[in-house]
Amino acid sequence: MLPIIKITNLDKFFGRLQVLKKISLEIYPQEVVCIIGRSGAGKSTLLRCINYLEEPSCGDIEVDGVCISAGKKGKDLRELIHELRLRSGMVFQEFNLFPHMTVLENVMEGPVTVKKMDKASAVKIAEMNLERVGMIIKKDEYPNRISGGQKQRVAIARALAMEPKVMLFDEPTSALDPELIGEVLTVMKSLAREGTTMLVVTHEMEFACDVASRVIVIHDGELVEQGAPADLLNHPQNVHTQALLERYRAGKSPQVEA
Amino acid sequence: MVLLSKRSISIEPLSRKKSIARGVWITISISALSILLATILALLAALGRLSKFPPFYAICTFYVSLIRGTPLYLQIFFFFLALPQVGIILPGLWAGVLALGLNYGAYMSEIFRAGLSSVGKGQREAALAIGMTPGQTMSRIVIPQALRFAIPPTGNEFIAMLKDSALVSATGFVHELMWRATKVGRAQFHNLEALITAAVFYWVMTLVFSYFQGRLEARMSRGER
Repeated sequence: MLPIIKITNLDKFFGRLQVLKKISLEIYPQEVVCIIGRSGAGKSTLLRCINYLEEPSCGDIEVDGVCISAGKKGKDLRELIHELRLRSGMVFQEFNLFPHMTVLENVMEGPVTVKKMDKASAVKIAEMNLERVGMIIKKDEYPNRISGGQKQRVAIARALAMEPKVMLFDEPTSALDPELIGEVLTVMKSLAREGTTMLVVTHEMEFACDVASRVIVIHDGELVEQGAPADLLNHPQNVHTQALLERYRAGKSPQVEA
Repeated sequence: MVLLSKRSISIEPLSRKKSIARGVWITISISALSILLATILALLAALGRLSKFPPFYAICTFYVSLIRGTPLYLQIFFFFLALPQVGIILPGLWAGVLALGLNYGAYMSEIFRAGLSSVGKGQREAALAIGMTPGQTMSRIVIPQALRFAIPPTGNEFIAMLKDSALVSATGFVHELMWRATKVGRAQFHNLEALITAAVFYWVMTLVFSYFQGRLEARMSRGER
């Protein structure tokens, strides 16, 4: 089986600081892969390199057959980035719903503006995806009138409406009040059950344990360990993984620290 | 609209008032056309000053600097008197609109620049991530939000412009409110009445527009974060 995402020897520098070091990774269809690690380890940067919101300094990114090698320039690059972004859906920590559009309009925006779909079909797709995340009853509200958890569910629907091959989640519950986290994780679990390929940067160990088919540990820009959650979380081999899990067990979120 | 009681005055002040009132529409037209031009220029200049493309940035910065560094009065005379010397003769109204529009565009570009900067990076990223081009991201996501931020202060600018349009009268080519007031006042040796009448017209206009501006602001704040 061919991988949906194939990352080869990815390096990323911010100025002289190297935040990703020779990362190679393959994600296969229907996998749910959780990326864990301390904050500042480079997890989010890795995710953002996959749709070129960050430009890799070195290495290849391939999503569903579209491949970009770092260093490419010009019109070619712009077209490839566009193709890459059409194949992946991104969910941000801060939701980033468009505040001047209703919930329905937020979800329709991609199909209408990017795919040039007619209004009626776009409404149909938007409503279907709002149904999937349980937000259809709020379709005519503006984002300022709904809770954080609801915003994130709409943001998931907005990404799904573009029918991506893989969903990328960048700490989707980190900006939420504790009582709102559950509803977002429930939606993500149901997506996983439907067979959606997902790559999730998260601090939710329970979610990783229950839903992930594979867990990846990033430490200081390096991929230090990966494996099935049962093995990795119970019998970590790498010292950094052990330290990380120790912190979680002590009840400290490594995100707050740093 | 009865400003003076009919009993107490002769026929002459009434015709004076009518003559001055005719200037109101010209004042409103100049202001409306100028604010339209100013808004377009301000948006372009604001985009330019945030642009990473050096020539665009340079032109826009030069424009804002030059306009803000010279008097509006001078700029108005430039379009009426200096341009004809090099063969560019604009109809009176359009020269006035051009001068006021260019001037206010430079000042308003700062409002629009603040508006554009107020739209967070996350908004751009979210738009790019669903596959929008940088152009679509600007026109569909960033500019609508920036306008929401910029429209209330633009109302203020419009009110200021209603009054600054009086400067155009100095050229003698545009027969707007102020021009008519001084003309009628001098001809009939009733400067006091003529200027008070004009002042009342300006004041009423700004009151009416302030009212609509208030309503607009209330409307624009819907759906705010």
